[in-house]
Amino acid sequence: MPPSLSPVVELKSVRKVYDTKVAVENVSLRIEPGSMFGLLGPNGSGKTSSIRMMIGITVPDAGTVSLFGQPFSRDHLQRIGYLPEERGLYRKMKVIDQLVFMGQLHGLSEQVATKRAQAWCERLQITEAIPKKAEELSKGMQQKIQFITALMHEPELIIMDEPFSGLDPVNAGLLEDTLLELRKEGRAILFSTHRIDQVEKLCDEISLIHRGLVVLSGRVREIKSRYPRNRVRISFEGDDSFLQHPSIAEQKNYAGQTEIILHGEDAQPLLVYAVTHGTRIQRFEVMEPTIEDIFISTVGGNVDA
Amino acid sequence: MRNLLLIAKREYLERVRTKAFAIATVLIPLVMIGAILLSTRGAKTAGHIAIVSSDSALAFDLQDDLEKNDSSEMLVDVEQPTPGWQQRLNTAVSKKDLDGYLLIDSSAPDPVITYSSGSKGDISTKSTLNNALRRVLARERLLHRGMKRKDIDALLKTPVLQTATVSNGHVSKSNTTSGFYAAYALFFLMYFVVMLHGINVASSVVEEKSSRVFEVMLATVKPSDMMGGKLLGVGAVGLTQVGIWVLCIVALLFTPALALMGAGDFKLQLSGFQLVAFVLFFVLGFMLYSSIAAAVGALVSSEQELRQFNMVIALPMAVNTFVLVPVITAPNSLLSTILSFIPTSTPLLMFLRLSIADVPLWQIGLSILTLSLSICAVVWFAARIYRVGILMYGKRPTLPEILRWIKYS
Repeated sequence: MPPSLSPVVELKSVRKVYDTKVAVENVSLRIEPGSMFGLLGPNGSGKTSSIRMMIGITVPDAGTVSLFGQPFSRDHLQRIGYLPEERGLYRKMKVIDQLVFMGQLHGLSEQVATKRAQAWCERLQITEAIPKKAEELSKGMQQKIQFITALMHEPELIIMDEPFSGLDPVNAGLLEDTLLELRKEGRAILFSTHRIDQVEKLCDEISLIHRGLVVLSGRVREIKSRYPRNRVRISFEGDDSFLQHPSIAEQKNYAGQTEIILHGEDAQPLLVYAVTHGTRIQRFEVMEPTIEDIFISTVGGNVDA
Repeated sequence: MRNLLLIAKREYLERVRTKAFAIATVLIPLVMIGAILLSTRGAKTAGHIAIVSSDSALAFDLQDDLEKNDSSEMLVDVEQPTPGWQQRLNTAVSKKDLDGYLLIDSSAPDPVITYSSGSKGDISTKSTLNNALRRVLARERLLHRGMKRKDIDALLKTPVLQTATVSNGHVSKSNTTSGFYAAYALFFLMYFVVMLHGINVASSVVEEKSSRVFEVMLATVKPSDMMGGKLLGVGAVGLTQVGIWVLCIVALLFTPALALMGAGDFKLQLSGFQLVAFVLFFVLGFMLYSSIAAAVGALVSSEQELRQFNMVIALPMAVNTFVLVPVITAPNSLLSTILSFIPTSTPLLMFLRLSIADVPLWQIGLSILTLSLSICAVVWFAARIYRVGILMYGKRPTLPEILRWIKYS
């Protein structure tokens, strides 16, 4: 794939109103080639509405959508693979026919589509599903088939709406590895999910969206560095009087461990205090904030997920 | 265009492979042939009755007629009015040993005839009795006036009515009855097929909607290609079905199969013009109804909900059958002409009119034009409703909402 410098997707001040409800307001984002981008936010925050405008299912009421450095045009859609949140397969159609049909709609010839469908089924370990009808498959298998339909035509941009929902850990891992390989090949991947914790480690960049507005965006490293490393996870035995130490702002007690939030970023005085007061420390970990924490602190815990 | 054809091909193959297609292909003509045979042949009147009369010659003549004439195979007893006969026969009717009895009182110069039976609604028995009485009494009276039996038979012989059709100033020696039945059969064929496949389009839209295939499709394909492909694919299924039937009819007409089946000189008469008109009006009718169906499918979100809305397709279709009799009896009346210009009725009624009568060519041409224009309008509206409707789940849109879709999309 030739390297291109222009962003794969660029939304500029996009707005979408359904009847009277504002779904998306002034949303801007850029997805660079070869990056993993997380579009994160609770249910109903406007993620799917944004995606639908990127791929021309709906048209924005204001703002512009550019794909591959050019204004939106349907011709670009063949370079995009889309896994919608609501999975959809023809129930009565055989898996292989279904895959070939979708491949052909994305511009592949019948022969190429058949070959790639076979190869992908082998790669995702579901060759036994090939001759079956979609309605005979388990949910997880249907999801893998759907995943293949989004990838078969080797798209430069892969859009996955809630890709891990309904998958067991083994298959979720398989999917994750596949996506990482695809990124290595230089493809851009857009995740959209409300399970912020699940994709945090995968994403290079994120946009946090809440009630139709982008509340936070940028590279994950940068965002995290903007927030203090003031959380400490502690497991201990013995005297717990150190938990009264003035540097502690908040604390939560879980079974066998305590999580505290400090006023400042320096945890050292607290550790010294605990050790000198005879507490046996088994674990003392200063953690960087998770995106979920940052999200909650940004929107003020006002999440109706 | 490539996508439209791919969608049409998928739709076509998935449908033609189903059992439902095979069943409908076999069943629809069978049901139709059955219905036509029933209405043409008519069942012979059967039953068991008694004739009570002191005039035994008359009674035996009547018995003879009822047991042997073309439209009846009744079992007839002849009784003398011996005392207590009425009591006895009434009991027999109550016990269902007898369907009824006919009392002929010939004491007066004009005989008084009464038929008493166990059921009120037996119209065919009554008309059979009536016809037989008319024949037998006429023969009886002529005999009394001294005519010979042989002369009476010659006199009362039913004439055979030969028919021919005048079209464009030429007389063609066709059997109008079989020509009429061919038109009648094709009318119902078109009715069933357009209806069946119209509803198929709607349920196919609903299926994609409820299985959420739409999202994936719309990420690559234009909604207009989706709808167009669907209409084309399902329409091709209908044409395939009609094609199979036409081949069967041709095979029957040009091989001795029909004669072997004992149909004798009962020929289906179809002109090339009629066949071309049939295919043309079938295609146009299908287009009209299935684009309405596509819009209906896009408006509802489940099969159950669709069932309530099939009326939108079924009702204008049914209007064609409500007005069938007036159109058949006077195909070129003002009423028939007006009816055949209503777009939802044009395909069926114009085809029927031109099959059974000479319809001016300008009327045929004009009706095709108005129908085509209506189709364009319906497709335009349907495409707009379709585009927005397929993304709507759950709540059914209200009429003002639908109008807004049409305006903004």
